[in-house]
Amino acid sequence: MSLLLTTLISVPLVAALIVALIPGNFRFIIRLVALAATLVAMSLAITAFVQFQPQGFDPANLATFQMQHKVAWITSDVININYHVGVDGISIGLLLMAGIVAFAATAVSWEIKTGEKTFYLLLLLMSGGAFGAFCSLDLFFFYFFNELALVPTFIMIGVWGRGPQKNYATYQITLYLTLGAMLALIGLIALYVSAGVNSLDIVTLKEALSKKALSSGAQAVIFPLLLFGFGILVGLFPFHSWAPLGYASAPTATAMMHAGVLKKAGLYAIIRVALPLMPEGVAKWMPVLAVLCVGNIIYCGWVAMRQKDLNMLIGNSSVAHMGFVFLGIASDSLIGLTGAVVIMVAHGLLAALSYGLTGYVYNTTGTLKMDELGGLLRKMPFIGVAMVMCFMAGCGLPGFANFNGEMLVIVGAWKVLPNIVVFAAWGGLVISGLYMLRAIRSVLHGPTQARTENVGEFVIKEPLPASEGGLGFLGAVTAFFHSALGGGVWQLWRKLPYALLLVGLILFGCFPSLLTSKIKGSIAEVVNLSHKVSPAKAAASVTAPAPLNVADNRN
Amino acid sequence: MNPELLPWIILLLPLASAVGITLFTRGSKGLSAGISIGAIATAFVASIILFAKTGGGSLLGPLLNLEWINLQVPGLTGEASSIQDIIINFGFKIDALSQLMLLIVTGVGTAIHVFSWGYMHEDRSVPRYFASLSLFCFSMLGIVLANNLMMMFIFWELVGVSSYLLIGYWFEKPSAADAAKKAFLTNRIGDFGFMLGILMVWGILGTMSFDGISAALAKNPAALGTMGTIAGLLIFCGAMGKSAQFPLHVWLPDAMEGPTPVSALIHAATMVAAGVFLLCRVFVVFTPDALTVIGWIGAITALIAALMALQQNDIKRILAYSTLSQLGYMVMAVGTGGVVLGQGPSAAMYHLTTHAFFKAMLFLGAGSVIHACHHEQDIWQMGGLKKKMPVTYWTFLIGTLALAGVPPFSGFYSKDAILAAALEANKGWFVIAALVALLTTFYMSRLFIVAFLGKPRSESAGHAHESPGIMSFPLIALAIPSVLAGVFGINHLLDHQFGVEAHGRHGMVAEIFAPFGHSPFAAIFGVLAVVFGVSFAFALYGNAEKDPLPNALGFFSRAMARRFYFDEIWSFLIRITHEALSYVADFIDRWLVSGLMVRGTHGSFEIAGRALRLLQSGNIQTYALLFVAGLVVVLLIVLK
Repeated sequence: MSLLLTTLISVPLVAALIVALIPGNFRFIIRLVALAATLVAMSLAITAFVQFQPQGFDPANLATFQMQHKVAWITSDVININYHVGVDGISIGLLLMAGIVAFAATAVSWEIKTGEKTFYLLLLLMSGGAFGAFCSLDLFFFYFFNELALVPTFIMIGVWGRGPQKNYATYQITLYLTLGAMLALIGLIALYVSAGVNSLDIVTLKEALSKKALSSGAQAVIFPLLLFGFGILVGLFPFHSWAPLGYASAPTATAMMHAGVLKKAGLYAIIRVALPLMPEGVAKWMPVLAVLCVGNIIYCGWVAMRQKDLNMLIGNSSVAHMGFVFLGIASDSLIGLTGAVVIMVAHGLLAALSYGLTGYVYNTTGTLKMDELGGLLRKMPFIGVAMVMCFMAGCGLPGFANFNGEMLVIVGAWKVLPNIVVFAAWGGLVISGLYMLRAIRSVLHGPTQARTENVGEFVIKEPLPASEGGLGFLGAVTAFFHSALGGGVWQLWRKLPYALLLVGLILFGCFPSLLTSKIKGSIAEVVNLSHKVSPAKAAASVTAPAPLNVADNRN
Repeated sequence: MNPELLPWIILLLPLASAVGITLFTRGSKGLSAGISIGAIATAFVASIILFAKTGGGSLLGPLLNLEWINLQVPGLTGEASSIQDIIINFGFKIDALSQLMLLIVTGVGTAIHVFSWGYMHEDRSVPRYFASLSLFCFSMLGIVLANNLMMMFIFWELVGVSSYLLIGYWFEKPSAADAAKKAFLTNRIGDFGFMLGILMVWGILGTMSFDGISAALAKNPAALGTMGTIAGLLIFCGAMGKSAQFPLHVWLPDAMEGPTPVSALIHAATMVAAGVFLLCRVFVVFTPDALTVIGWIGAITALIAALMALQQNDIKRILAYSTLSQLGYMVMAVGTGGVVLGQGPSAAMYHLTTHAFFKAMLFLGAGSVIHACHHEQDIWQMGGLKKKMPVTYWTFLIGTLALAGVPPFSGFYSKDAILAAALEANKGWFVIAALVALLTTFYMSRLFIVAFLGKPRSESAGHAHESPGIMSFPLIALAIPSVLAGVFGINHLLDHQFGVEAHGRHGMVAEIFAPFGHSPFAAIFGVLAVVFGVSFAFALYGNAEKDPLPNALGFFSRAMARRFYFDEIWSFLIRITHEALSYVADFIDRWLVSGLMVRGTHGSFEIAGRALRLLQSGNIQTYALLFVAGLVVVLLIVLK
């Protein structure tokens, strides 16, 4: 029984409540509260990650969640819903990533100059919802937290968004994702009804369904509902078109949180719910998923090549990366699924970094059209170098975590889906290289253009936030902060969110076992359950299952 | 000190240098240069110590093989038919091959680092230059030391990005930025094949480590089965990209946009040699068919590159095509390795070694000339540099002679090894190789005569003066192995590595004449090629004011100068494939997915809503009508 996770989820939500009570013109205090809350949340997430014990695989024990906290809520004959949180290998990495991204997103929101109270309130709700979604072990609360995190995007993009298609993008992203969530909800309810154990608790469902699986008919309906419902939330081809436009129109923090964190909740749900509970559905639908993921990787890669707007390019690239995760899921293997989770963590950091950097470029130059930009590497050294690293990570350069994930997915899927892997390798190596390098060439290299001629980075221009009177001591402190070391301290603060995300990418890039050692035990359980044949088929095979010849696969 | 620590020191010092410069010394040129030079020089010393301690042989030990990704879960049984597990290691393979390469990379690297300080110190971003150079050294050393294919692939990619950063060093110049992009993307195409080859080998043999692969194939030579040739050729794709073999050769000449020391280090001595190194590492995987293909691609590359070099006028471009041609030689030599039983690819590695020395020196010499002539790179604007730049003159002469294959310079011996192997393996290859030797001598003599001899053709050449010591000293340092490497016995070291029967060691003096004893036909042909090449060159260019070949050869000369239009062919191919496909994909995305699907759904809902709204007219008569209509429908259904 550990309160760490509950604290982690409550801190942003309580902070949201506090922000709601602060008068709207105390902009600086509001921002401080939000920063403090997400900083605390990030520290708690890091603590949880460090404290998490890598676990082995025991087919008899299906309740292998750590740091659990359960509070009974609704107990009746009709339905049991409890507040139940816990983490295992799959969610701990995602939780860490969510913590870092939430803090980084809050930190880069200095660009929001109107209606800060509402904005930070919504941002904190998104963060709390994201944490809750990754920790929840009761499907009701998972869905609740997921929606809590998704709904604010409507307001955030609608009010603080940018671009001529902002309104259309707002409605599209909200309604499209609600459609997906609705399909998933139908699937979850159907699952609840068919399982017949009167509970939405994942542990209970796993234990019940591993003993007696759902009927084939039920699986044939529920699995695609869940797969495509959550798939829409992630941007599975061909239900992906909401993503590039939505992110391009969103304010920076929203894009970072949504593309980085919230998209992963859908994938997480597929791995957590759909795969282990419905093995026959898995067997039938994984080949379909494998073909669709080629659409993500190759098709969206080609679309990315045509883009002239930097954010649209990154959006399409983001959808393409999701293709790799889907490939890992489709392979349904230990290596492939581990790689999928690694990509989820890595891509979360990467997407946040990409949108954070392009947000900075947009704020300083006023445009993200690639033919109007150029030569930024000279004008903005830190942002430029970070952007080069970011785009290189995006096209799968070793040293960054994305390569490890993509490599594991390719290796894991090779024996099962060799033809698909050929496409995936081409997309991941060549096509992504094409558009990423094109982006670097247009935005960072080459001579400067009119829009980029006179820009610089980290120059104190705007009126200092604390200079709106009446803040006395606090105003004096922040004025000191801005001027300390000739502005050096303030510059370091501004660089911090990007540096944090880069450090995460490089750390898990160079030392992937920090992540994979925690993931693999839980993935082994998922893989084992997803391959469970029915008792009749098992009886038909006479030979005992052969233990893996470990020596052969040793490098 | 534990010798197992030495590879770690060698590998990690340049990395520490790169990270240190990037984070801490970006403001200071001298400090950055000092850190970078210190790192590589220390690595060189460590390589020498390692060589001394192991006698150039193998080294094994627990510190040399660490787990990097462990995806084994005890207890997971074979119930799930597609479950596999894997352990990817981060480890070093220390043997004669890698030790030789270590010495080359760190040795030539140190010379070039020192030269760079002299060449680049007026540039504004010198710290970035040295950081990138250190990053490159780290990546290259990783390739050399890797003990498994995945680790080698990782460092393969890292070398690619280091090359990208260095070619694009002057990134504000559009041509440099484009050249960097081209190099990276062309390499990526090769890497695609490489990755598939790795997967294939792992899928069949179950291991990615070089020792594991050798052991598996030693136990069962036919283990790779029918896919063996394909797997080998896919791995060769990686070498094709990195070593710029036809048809992925187009990036190397453009890479000359980078600073000259970069061209010397990366695009002459080390990175481009990584492909050949890879081929030697996984040599056991190649079937005779695969080796035949490899040999022919090498031969073709050697020939077309030599032809293209004939009509280039930029000193760096000539050297670039010369490098391409020599790489073709090396790859062809790998191809011979399988045909001639028991030969192994030692001839290729031998030539790689000698080529690294004299080609790096030639590039540095070119840098010296360019620097002295105030960044003039056209050889027809040079001339008469013999008196003005004696050190550069003499070292360039040594390099030219070595490259042409004049005995007793090192190039003669390594080239002869290749000619001898080609003679035994495939007469076609021998003919091409001899022809290329002739062409090589011809265009190098052309370069030398026009750039160094005669009278100065322009003002900047007239005012040229010798480079300062910091630039001349590395030239001299590299000249020594260019002259003497033929008699060190490198080929014996390599033969031992590849298990080839030694031809028997002679004393050093006897080594000088050894080729004439072993394979007189090849050796004499080599010498004849040189003689003819030099004579033709002197005949045409002896006192030429301008190049007589364009008039003599007409269209052919233009084609050579335009690199046989390969760049245009590649652009065309990319345009009709990827550009067209992405246009189609974008069209589908815009009009079908976003348009028909999404807006269509939105539109149909809206139309349906508007239509149904009409029913809510607020008009009693309409409601009465609908009531009756509904009643009629219900009656119809009930009474049916």
